Amino acid sequence: MTGRSVPMFVITFAVAYAVLYVVSVEYNLALFTYHPATEEFHFLVKPASDGPAMYWYGWMATSGLSAFAIATLVSWLPKGPTNRLWSNCSWSVPLAVMVVFVYILRRYFIR
Amino acid sequence: MMVFLLILHSLLAVALLGAITHQAISAWAPASRASAGTFIGRMRAVPATSYVNAVIVLYALTALLGAIIYPTYRLNVRIVLEQMQLHVPNGAFELKEHFVALGLGMLPAYWYFWRAAHAADYARTRALLTALLAFIVWWGFLVGHILNNIRGFDL
Repeated sequence: MTGRSVPMFVITFAVAYAVLYVVSVEYNLALFTYHPATEEFHFLVKPASDGPAMYWYGWMATSGLSAFAIATLVSWLPKGPTNRLWSNCSWSVPLAVMVVFVYILRRYFIR
Repeated sequence: MMVFLLILHSLLAVALLGAITHQAISAWAPASRASAGTFIGRMRAVPATSYVNAVIVLYALTALLGAIIYPTYRLNVRIVLEQMQLHVPNGAFELKEHFVALGLGMLPAYWYFWRAAHAADYARTRALLTALLAFIVWWGFLVGHILNNIRGFDL
């Protein structure tokens, strides 16, 4: 990567990962599912027949791989379309997504 | 084995907590001449850049160990919390898992903006990324600590 593409990559990755993660959780787009009771992994989403299903690993895999692909593409773009990206997006978008999660999970705290 | 991993997870979290807290204090309240020589002054005067690699490695290792012991929690602890209708601790842990995952996605930016420490333009970004990671680490540590000792809290 060149000197300019590294900041584009890391900012885009932070933004894309945060957005894709909350989308993955909300729409359950896990790349794989883990069933702890049977210690089995399954590709994509597969509800467990015995015990709980864990999607957390799959959500991180979905958002991590997708964000990596998006950030790689963006870091290859010519300077014009990407120079609006602001370094502060690398913390403000994840912070906004954290607030979204507090809202999504509010039912735990306001019963 | 799980108890050993849980204790190791806790110890790594303590080290991470110390590193990120020192760095955040140094980034937000650098040492002034007036505070030089005092305990607080020395805490504010730590070379923040020197913590970057340690924070990244400790964050990744602590999250990895947390991911390894998570199925045991899911099978043996969360179900009990649900049966006991302990919604707030349950929700706090749900937030912890999502916050930690979001923190992982911020690590490349955190590394880059601290690596470019010479660029004054990034001082605000560095400080805010560090503060957000510090919040995530503190949240994860406190929630983990409370859940680990939940029987003693008489909730």
